[in-house]
Amino acid sequence: MIPNAITWMIAIPLIGAVITFLTRSRAQARMVALIASIIALILSLQMYLGFDKTSKSMQFVENYQWIPSLGVNYTVGVDGIAFPLILLSTIVTVLVIIYSWGEDKNPNQFFALLLLNEVGVIGVFTSLDFFLFYIFWEIVLIPMYFLIGIWGGPRKDYAAIKFFIYTHVASLVMLLAIFAMYFTYQLPDGSRTFNMLVLLQATQNPAIFPTSLLNLIFIGLLLGFLVKMPAFPFHTWLPDAHVEAPTAGSVVLAALLLKMGGYGIFRIILPILPNVDKVFVTIIAIIAVLSIVYGAFMALAQKDIKKLVAYSSVSHMGFVTLGAVAFTWMSIQGAMFQQFSHGIITCVLFMSAGTIQHVVGTRIIPDLGGLADRMPKFAVLMMAGFMASLGLPGMSGFVAEFMVLTGSYATLPVYTMIVVFLSVAITAAYHLWAMQKAMFGPILKKYLDVHDPHSYELFSMGMIILLSLLFGIMPSLITDIMGTAAYQVMEPVRTLVQMGVI
Amino acid sequence: MDFGHYAPLWPEALLTVLSVLIVLLGSLMKNSGKLMGYLSLAGLVAALGLVGSTLMISPAAIFFFDTISVDSFSQFFKAVFIIVSLLVVIASLSKYTGKGADEFYALLLFATVGMMVVSSSIDLVTLFVGFELASLATYALSAFDKSKKNLEAAMKYFIFGSVSSAFMLFGFSLLYGMTGSTRLSDIANAALTSFGPAIFVALIFVVAGFAFKMALVPFHMWAPDTYEGSPPLVSALLASGSKKMGFAAAFRVLLIALIALRLEWYLAFAILAAITMTLGNLAACWQNNVRRILAYSSIAQAGYIAIGFVVVGAAYGSAPVTTFNGVAIPADQLAIAGALLLILAHALMKTGAFVGSAQVASMVGKNSEVEPDDISNYAGLGRRAPITAFCMTIFMFALAGIPPSAGYIGKFVLFSSAIYAGLLWIALLAIFNSALSLYYYLRIISYMYLKEPVGPRMPEAKGYVIALVLTLIAVVWIGVFPNNFIDWALQAAAVLLPQ
Repeated sequence: MIPNAITWMIAIPLIGAVITFLTRSRAQARMVALIASIIALILSLQMYLGFDKTSKSMQFVENYQWIPSLGVNYTVGVDGIAFPLILLSTIVTVLVIIYSWGEDKNPNQFFALLLLNEVGVIGVFTSLDFFLFYIFWEIVLIPMYFLIGIWGGPRKDYAAIKFFIYTHVASLVMLLAIFAMYFTYQLPDGSRTFNMLVLLQATQNPAIFPTSLLNLIFIGLLLGFLVKMPAFPFHTWLPDAHVEAPTAGSVVLAALLLKMGGYGIFRIILPILPNVDKVFVTIIAIIAVLSIVYGAFMALAQKDIKKLVAYSSVSHMGFVTLGAVAFTWMSIQGAMFQQFSHGIITCVLFMSAGTIQHVVGTRIIPDLGGLADRMPKFAVLMMAGFMASLGLPGMSGFVAEFMVLTGSYATLPVYTMIVVFLSVAITAAYHLWAMQKAMFGPILKKYLDVHDPHSYELFSMGMIILLSLLFGIMPSLITDIMGTAAYQVMEPVRTLVQMGVI
Repeated sequence: MDFGHYAPLWPEALLTVLSVLIVLLGSLMKNSGKLMGYLSLAGLVAALGLVGSTLMISPAAIFFFDTISVDSFSQFFKAVFIIVSLLVVIASLSKYTGKGADEFYALLLFATVGMMVVSSSIDLVTLFVGFELASLATYALSAFDKSKKNLEAAMKYFIFGSVSSAFMLFGFSLLYGMTGSTRLSDIANAALTSFGPAIFVALIFVVAGFAFKMALVPFHMWAPDTYEGSPPLVSALLASGSKKMGFAAAFRVLLIALIALRLEWYLAFAILAAITMTLGNLAACWQNNVRRILAYSSIAQAGYIAIGFVVVGAAYGSAPVTTFNGVAIPADQLAIAGALLLILAHALMKTGAFVGSAQVASMVGKNSEVEPDDISNYAGLGRRAPITAFCMTIFMFALAGIPPSAGYIGKFVLFSSAIYAGLLWIALLAIFNSALSLYYYLRIISYMYLKEPVGPRMPEAKGYVIALVLTLIAVVWIGVFPNNFIDWALQAAAVLLPQ
């Protein structure tokens, strides 16, 4: 195991981004970006091999003083909550770079921004210091803003600014909650700390954080994460951002950025949840169910494939919230797996939408028809992706949603039944309807000369289908880690010192 | 005669001699080329080195019968002023050369010396002399390009500046009349509150005089017009340098001489700060001229900085609230340190932003159908002038307080002092204002990167680029390694508080 693996995993895409930005041609830009992202992937795979799946402690911890006067440290580390998402980030970044192999508008900036995005998300998933966490949380906004704003669709300016301001305001609210913790808790020597685990542990002490204050902090943090996920009714930025974003932007937005919200729920919200008012459980459960059901119904009503996929994300991310708030071992594990699984599957959905857009020229479902006739390979992959998304047994989506529903029934039976009755059939309906209308049936005359897309696009989609199958058939590859993490989430927080890692 | 003990004053002496020398040389030489620029550059670098060598000077060196104090507070401001002038001179090397350049550099150096004198003054008369030296030089500078807009800007600046000087002077004269001294320490020792209503009249005039210079709402009307109409590089000096001089003076006078009235000026500044940041940010959202946006943003930033006065007024002499590096820090010291950090950060960010706008204006030049500073000229700047656009982007994000940048650290320390002092409302207001400000900063960024270019790629002048890149490095450096800067600001802040 190389030392400082996490720092390298953040640094290499960052260095890669700078070099990519300075390259002069598309061939150089994409090659540098691919190499940088593959190195990061190799690092994360190597980390997987060295990862102790049974440990509830932080692993690969690095801790350096950064701004001692403010109590800020550079502390990074991974545990079962974070690690699957790191794996997800490195996999998705490589595949999205391959998918975008043909990008010809300012390719150096485009690939540099994709790498910068990877820096931000890995940073968010590994930071154990709120100051650092917030910096990475904000850094992520910048590449996404430019990806939408430069390579986006007709209303890109509006979508980019809406995305930035909406999520930035939410993160400011989260920042206020972080400040509230920082300014309330004093270390024994009178100084302050931004250390995430120390502060989270302190919130469990009612003498320091009375329930009234903790409720406010909780609301602030929750809002920051729910907007990011996004959950109904804070999802309104998402359809705009997705519809206008370029395909690669949509993919990283849905596969990685939304996961930051879910990660925040597991890492920060759940440890606080037992100490706040019980009414929050009901509120979050209602939000989760509304997201699932509302997202599914909205998806059913969309004519634009991309918007359909965007709303399906709202629906699927609702399972993460539901599983988390149900707070059983099975449901939390399922919710974590849903994060991972949705991150993979949504890539293929957005790639499908993007490919249809640039091959056919439109994404409006009623204008499409019979594309499978001319794009057989693509149709197979898209079909597989849609099946994975609607929860076909044997693929990862099924396992995740099954675990969430089974686990949640123990504590939230009513909400779970609502979800089962209202959303499962609808979810299948909008996926099948879109597939059937766009890809099957007699081919329209105007599409007689379309053909399968580039092999690099098919390769990326195919890899994702394989991964979805792999994790559908052998979920234990990753659920072992999540199972340990689910126990860890339900236990009181231990600081790094108590874990004995620093 | 031994002048050795005047060593802490060498930076001022050096710059004064140099500016006189430049005037003399300029009258003798027909075409001095870039000589004057390089002379000023060398002088400022040397002065910065001299200030740097006495950065943490302790105990304070007092000169000229208790009128000038060289202490770490004054050195902090001097460093800020010299750095700003230095950056402006570097950028000016691409613009002001040859005939007439001598006047520009001489005035700029005089202004710098004036600001430095203000930051060291512990006597009202010295303070006023420094103030006027800097003001008169900048009045002339803001009309330097002699265009119609310049003249209008200079006229407005001159009239408002004179009125504010008159206010200030009147306030000073009342203070002198009541206490019999112009020394800040003597005024502080007089039983101020016994003078009844007259002392409040004096306070109002003094605060109003300073508020004009700091451009706090409602004394801000001159700022947008002047920053828009002056030569762009002069705007950089005005917004980053001469405005900060107002803060330096206000800190000294209010915290030392008028501390007995802190409950009165605390209230005044609470209202001024709240109105200033909110109105500044709101007004900036509706502007289409980049320099006007920057002007309103600098008004808003002055509102943030003024929070420092509010916190000091509320928490003066209170118990320590936190420890930094093992040293207990009270909220008032933290507030001054936060204000100083934000002053430093804002000086850098605003200089950078105005130099960037100067670069754009000079590139677009006369070919433009609209005003050179109109936001439409920034469309596609990311491809027309990549370095300028990139630096501008970082400055915009830094001004909005996105981490890790100097702007974020300054705001963090300052707002946290407000929270420690129990002034949660003003901290929350400031944080929401920061969120609001992001809108207009993003607007500029979106023009630079998201819009189609309005013309071909433009050559970027070397001087501007060097100034921009240096500023960029400083802004990011302070953001990433703020520890030493926080310590420095805390040291400087301690000077103003009783030991």
